[in-house]
Amino acid sequence: MRTISFAGLHYTYPETASRALDGVDLEIDSGLTLLTGASGSGKSTLLRVCNGLIPHFHGGVIGGSARVLGREVVRAPTRELARDVGFVFQDPELQAVYPSVERDAAFGLENLGVARGEMLRRVGDALEMCGIAHLRSRAVGTLSGGERQRLALAGVLAMRPRLLVLDEPLSQLDPEGSAALLATLHAAVRAGTTVLVAEHRHHLVLERADRCLLMAQGRVTPCAPGRPVETARAAAPRGSALPELSWRLRDVSAGPAEVAVLHDLDLAGGTGEVVALTGPNGSGKTTLLRTIAGLLPPLSGRVERRPGRIAYLPQNPSALLHRGTVRSEIAWTLRRTRSAGRPDAVLEELGLTAVADRDPRDLSTGQRQRAALASVLAGDPSLVLLDEPTRGMDDAARAALTAALARIADRGASAVVATHDPQLVSAVANRVVDLADGTARERRSLTAAAR
Amino acid sequence: MSTRSLAAWSASGLVIALSTSNPVYRAVVLLCALNLLLARGRRGSGTRLLLVSIGIAGLIATLVTLLLSHTGQHVLVRLPAGIPAIGGPLTLEALAFGMATGLGIAAALLAVAPLTLVSQPHELVDALPAPLARTGAAVGAALNLIPGTLRSAVEIREAQRMRGWRARRVVDWPAVAVPVVLTAIEGSMTLAEAMESRAYGTGARTHFSIQRWARYDTVVSVTAALGAGGFLALVVTGGAPGWFPFPVLSAPAISVPALLCCALLVVPSLQVRR
Repeated sequence: MRTISFAGLHYTYPETASRALDGVDLEIDSGLTLLTGASGSGKSTLLRVCNGLIPHFHGGVIGGSARVLGREVVRAPTRELARDVGFVFQDPELQAVYPSVERDAAFGLENLGVARGEMLRRVGDALEMCGIAHLRSRAVGTLSGGERQRLALAGVLAMRPRLLVLDEPLSQLDPEGSAALLATLHAAVRAGTTVLVAEHRHHLVLERADRCLLMAQGRVTPCAPGRPVETARAAAPRGSALPELSWRLRDVSAGPAEVAVLHDLDLAGGTGEVVALTGPNGSGKTTLLRTIAGLLPPLSGRVERRPGRIAYLPQNPSALLHRGTVRSEIAWTLRRTRSAGRPDAVLEELGLTAVADRDPRDLSTGQRQRAALASVLAGDPSLVLLDEPTRGMDDAARAALTAALARIADRGASAVVATHDPQLVSAVANRVVDLADGTARERRSLTAAAR
Repeated sequence: MSTRSLAAWSASGLVIALSTSNPVYRAVVLLCALNLLLARGRRGSGTRLLLVSIGIAGLIATLVTLLLSHTGQHVLVRLPAGIPAIGGPLTLEALAFGMATGLGIAAALLAVAPLTLVSQPHELVDALPAPLARTGAAVGAALNLIPGTLRSAVEIREAQRMRGWRARRVVDWPAVAVPVVLTAIEGSMTLAEAMESRAYGTGARTHFSIQRWARYDTVVSVTAALGAGGFLALVVTGGAPGWFPFPVLSAPAISVPALLCCALLVVPSLQVRR
């Protein structure tokens, strides 16, 4: 019996004309399979077929054959498939049912009717495997995005699925977390679990993958495992010869709910500079960005900024998008900031021309992220603050972002980018600031190298 | 307090508020519910927003009845007859009836509110009996809407502020409200997907931590059942008269047994006051 067996599978979402899956033939028995492809190519749709969310939850028109662990997906509801198929979603922020870590990790086991003693043991093991055993008693609301991602995985691993499906699991993890998660997945494979991972940061997964699949326009083709895929890179920003001060934190302590997670920081950024903020999940990168933006008042110390508009991309791009089309989102920013630019130029720069007239909420996660980015970058802001901007982005989008950041720096604006993506850091950053334990440490200056 | 006993209390309050037209009984339900919310509502659970919304709903009900019902002997003001629908006499009786209707709506909503504002959403999901487990995903999604809406409202207002705009006038609010609602609904749908994907609704559940059923929960549940049952019996037998202000306004009749049935709803608040 094959774990996944799709033959001539096609699927169309409700109220859309084009097929999201268009004749998928796929057979997977075991091991770790990497699924890659551009944003909007149908990866998330294919994954959702594996646990029956498509068609049972989303509706739409499905045809061909889709069998998972010997069961016809069309006949087996998601809750039944969930006994054997674990699914980790792209948005870990929205998956938690219970307010505490331990309790949430146990949710699936409660649903399976597992006895309490066994539940305690399995939850402990799963939290340990995902490297978050020390967070066992924490409230879910206090976790960072990456920590929540690991919690979501722990909750699924505790159920001991035979097939584990993960949608962009590395998008919010720091390098250490990514390595730990991949090791966890590898351990799961060794224990007999079949793992299917959709991931844009494919270079991280390729080494350990048994096979690689490429998704394009709703179809799946094999790609060679173990061979790195070239990532397009743009020239790093040159950096100003004599940068003026763009923003500065003097002895700043800051944190949400009046609890300091950053302590007595002295940091500054100059015009024409791109500063990369790195550090483990929960180290305070988002807090720092929000403090610079003025959205979070410092608990002590002072924040100074040069006059001018600040563009801020939050981790959740949906918060930004509220117009009917991507084009009108950009036009709205241009109008509100009284800028003379044209939406088409921004659309082209970020590779969004093809989806310019679509509703941003109908786009894939990666495309939505780009649309949000376009809507904040429009109008030439003087300070750009980006929180995990490459989340869900494919190679082409990443290259477009790199080019956009280079242009921002070249025209004398300043940017601060919180990211776990080492490729982005090496491509765009003049300076790298590591955050850990509430303090900041400048790791290296890339300005000279960039020049 | 256990979520199940709280659910019994809410059901009782709802039954009383909806089974009578008498504003006195409705007012007692409303006061008991308000007391419970103020005494036991969670911090940051949106109690203030809910109270404002209920106040607006009650006000709208009052105004609609006042403007559309042109019956009654005590005319307060006459609108020109040429105005469609609302033209004609506006009466004291219509105003009183509208206020009683608004009071009924507010009492019914407030009776249910503690389920989300006193309990945590997951406690309600846990408390659902096995036959209703299949609807749990929908319940979870619905319960996520209130906190989800509050969360997305903050995020969206911040994001819009950073794009150079802030809602200042009433006409600006749709630009905030639409994405807030859409984002909250999206979040709720994702939660429902996640619950379904983790086998929610498969069958009998076990529990990681047990919700304790204290003696006081029994007291709350029994008094709630007695209150609602007794009140319904009085309504059916004519022992709890309703109220109708037309054609001439009169004071609502009060039955002491019916009033006592309503007053039993104060029991959950007494535990806090000890």
